[in-house]
Amino acid sequence: MTAGIVQTGSEERPGDATDERGEGDAGYSQQRWWQLLWSNTKARVGIILLLAFILIATFAPLIAPYEGTRSDFDALLPVSGDHLLGTTSQGADIFSQLVYGSRVSLLVGLFGGLVSTAIALVIGMWSGYKEGTVIDDILSFITNVAIVVPVLPLMIVLIAYSEVRGIPLIVFVIGITSWAGHARAKRSQIITLRNRDFVTAAKFAGEGSGRIIFREIMPSMTSLVAAGFVGASTGAIGAEAGLSFLGLGDPNSISWGTMLYQADSQGAVGQGLWAWVLAPGLILALLITSLTFINFGVDLLSNPHLREDS
Amino acid sequence: MTTTDATTAAATTESVPTSQTLAADTRRNSHPLLRVRDLSVRFEPKMSPALTAVDKVSFDLLEGEFVGLIGESGSGKSTLAMALLSLLERPGRISNGSIEFDGEDIASMSQEDLRHRRWRDIATVFQSSMNSLNPVMRVEAQFRDAIEEHSELRGDAVTERVRELFSMVMIDEKFMSAYPHELSGGMKQRINLALALCNRPRFVLLDEPTTGLDVVVQRSILEAVRRLQKEQGFAVLFISHDIGTVMELSDRIFVMYAGQLVEQQAATTLVKDPLHPYSKGLLGSYSNPRADTVRVTYIPGRPPDLTRPISGCRFAARCPEAIERCSSDEPQLLPLAGGRVACHVAHLQRGPSEDKPDGLPEQTTRFAGPEFVKTAEDSDRARRGEVFLEVDSVTKVFERRRGLRKQQTLAVDDVSFALRKGEVTALVGQSGSGKTTLARMITGVDKPSSGTIRFTGSEGTIAVEKLRTRQLRDYRKHVQMVFQDPYSSLNPALTLRYTLTRPLRNHRGLSAQEADAVAGELMETVALTPSNRFLDRYPHELSGGQRQRVVIARALAANPELIVADEPISSLDVSIRAEVLELLQELVTGHDIGVLYITHDLLSARLLADEILVLSQGRVVEQGNALEVIRNPQDAYTRTLLDAIPNPFEQATTTS
Ligand SMILES: Nc1ncnc2c1ncn2[C@@H]1O[C@H](COP(=O)(O)OP(=O)(O)O)[C@@H](O)[C@H]1O
Ligand code: SF4
Ligand SMILES: [Mg+2]
Repeated sequence: MTAGIVQTGSEERPGDATDERGEGDAGYSQQRWWQLLWSNTKARVGIILLLAFILIATFAPLIAPYEGTRSDFDALLPVSGDHLLGTTSQGADIFSQLVYGSRVSLLVGLFGGLVSTAIALVIGMWSGYKEGTVIDDILSFITNVAIVVPVLPLMIVLIAYSEVRGIPLIVFVIGITSWAGHARAKRSQIITLRNRDFVTAAKFAGEGSGRIIFREIMPSMTSLVAAGFVGASTGAIGAEAGLSFLGLGDPNSISWGTMLYQADSQGAVGQGLWAWVLAPGLILALLITSLTFINFGVDLLSNPHLREDS
Repeated sequence: MTTTDATTAAATTESVPTSQTLAADTRRNSHPLLRVRDLSVRFEPKMSPALTAVDKVSFDLLEGEFVGLIGESGSGKSTLAMALLSLLERPGRISNGSIEFDGEDIASMSQEDLRHRRWRDIATVFQSSMNSLNPVMRVEAQFRDAIEEHSELRGDAVTERVRELFSMVMIDEKFMSAYPHELSGGMKQRINLALALCNRPRFVLLDEPTTGLDVVVQRSILEAVRRLQKEQGFAVLFISHDIGTVMELSDRIFVMYAGQLVEQQAATTLVKDPLHPYSKGLLGSYSNPRADTVRVTYIPGRPPDLTRPISGCRFAARCPEAIERCSSDEPQLLPLAGGRVACHVAHLQRGPSEDKPDGLPEQTTRFAGPEFVKTAEDSDRARRGEVFLEVDSVTKVFERRRGLRKQQTLAVDDVSFALRKGEVTALVGQSGSGKTTLARMITGVDKPSSGTIRFTGSEGTIAVEKLRTRQLRDYRKHVQMVFQDPYSSLNPALTLRYTLTRPLRNHRGLSAQEADAVAGELMETVALTPSNRFLDRYPHELSGGQRQRVVIARALAANPELIVADEPISSLDVSIRAEVLELLQELVTGHDIGVLYITHDLLSARLLADEILVLSQGRVVEQGNALEVIRNPQDAYTRTLLDAIPNPFEQATTTS
């Protein structure tokens, strides 16, 4: 009643029974999602940052002055033209390590995110679609167990007992330990979609459950799936850094987590070697921030009410 | 309101111009309450092309006048309403023109000013109002807020006023202390109406206030509106796509098409002698279901895309009367026969004969376009095909847990009937009468609580209530469904090709190539030609009528013996409903398919069905030959449904 009008309507634009769901909505998700994403300032910053990281990772040999694994410099050299951020106590160039480290983070983010999202989708969607059946009971039980099991100890145990250390192992462990929360979200999302008329129509067309879930329903959830994936990637990147910091990373490659691990174990803080400690931490925070910003934009796609435009 | 009431109402209200002179007089003498000139509204969204949704609209609304605004959805009715209320939101804005309320220009007034002016003189109820009552506040408190903000009334005086308002809209006082969720949709809309009237407005704008409610409930609300309007003398602008009701209630009608007013006319005149071909088209979708021969017309095609420049008449592409001039000159809204109309042909036909160009179409009051006809013989023909679906004593009880208590709803109560091959049976009833529940049980989506459903098809007899998931898939080779809402029953993310080929591959076992070819044939069957232009489109690229055709094509893909059509036209604009009915009719005659047609609308039941079953509160209250049931309804409930059908023509005949 802001305008002093006796207006008994809601904030929505009034519409006919037919015209609300009109031409626009579907068009948005099909043609203009990238425009929408780009129109959001946060998302734009996030995307530019992420692109920068990807460029750095791809062209690491061109950008970094030395091999990331090279450690035959003098230990603890100060910041200089030859060593932009100085060297570590093992004689490695910190700047080069930082550049090469982006490769591990991005790879783990990509594949960890993919594995976790794939598991979450299959389990969450299937159980939501079959809500109220035995299948759902079983899958929900597994999901709930996976949610209550403390993740970090589980990861540590899994890695500790495995014979080979390496990025694939880390991806695998992150994937199978971090899907549960997303699976539960997908389950509740599909429950709201599975009674749509077009789903019933697909049943009448003789479609099986798998096709209905992944061909009919999932496209309507693209932005939710994308948000889940970005979230899972962010988590995976953090988890890799955490595991490496605990010394469980791949001993043969350089990641920001292992840099932190080394800095910590050499007592870098005590010696006031700030570049060594801060650089990997800050850059990790920057990558995670960029992904979080992108997720703001992805949220806009799935929730039209957040759009700046309308 | 009975038809006679409506007639008297129309006759007694002063502002009805019954002839040209009177109209002119009224206009000169009383200065209009609302004076709109050259009003345009533009939407300029960031992401999509800009469009002019309301284009140079001018009209006057007199004190105490009841004016109806009709037009297909998307024609700009709601946008015009929002502009009048100064409630347009970004990206929409008034780009041109003026709105004067009681002599003051309100289009250029700031929101702040508006608040301080007498804007409480204007009130509104629209469709979404249904959900706009504050859920955590008792109804009385919401009235109190509204009343105290705008008047001097306090304390008991307010309570007294609320009581009065409640009795005005015929709601029991005891609901004053209710919370909104305790009220039905119809009651909420009545309360919204009362709330709108609480400060004695001079102008009430109603935008689809009853759409989505039950026909019988709609009827009673609108009767209340009309009665209160007569008693209190406020002016009303009533927007609805239910043209029949608008015609019955209004003194004067504005017809809107593609953002422009194309005709302004007294309701009684418009019914008898519509001038604009579009008005004729809209009116053509109504007919008296009791008549021997029922004819309804429909307007082919769809409204123009407003984001592109249009030259000439905007209706030209769909107009059966169009002449050469129509595609180049834009017709102006000029006075004619007591009203105003924007149509070259209408003006020429009634103008001096020496102006008439060759090839000017004959003057007609009917839409000269496509038509769907049903005669009494058609209805009698009622072919006694063999029974192929038997519903026997079917009952469905829904159980819902509410805390510790179990709540039971009896949705379908001991229903029995049979469907015959090549015959259309209409299942008629209010919403909530159990129609959809029955449809879901017949198609195997739900299981009955008791009773049996037997389907006898090409593969022997099937006990439908016992089918399991896998067998259900086979059953759907025989039984298909057409859904109510073509906007939600087609997957927005998939092409029509995908949607159509899937049932062909699943049910008929065709290869991808074969399915593709047959999908093309199906599109041709439902008259979406050339099919290859349509197959790769997405649903949002089609109009409502076209979408419903696709839904029907998909149902046909399995070569079914029975199609269950659940309100297949109720979400479509009236102007295109007959088009879909005609298609269904062709299927029955051409493919020998049995159809169970579910509807709340007896006119469409008459047009399509051979037999009618009337369902009320889960029980069959009446059953028989379609024409018979409509002409001699035995049950009181059937009569109520019949009375709820608006019939502007009947009113016109009684008046003359
Ligand atoms: N917020 C909006 N942004 C862009 N276009 C809009 C918006 N609201 C309505 N329109 C367009 O304006 C035109 C008129 O719509 P509307 O006023 O809702 O018509 P009606 O009420 O007659 O159905 C349509 O073409 C519609 O798509
Ligand atoms: S101006 Fe021409 S095209 Fe337009 S409505 Fe009249 S006859 Fe039809
Ligand atoms: Mg509208």
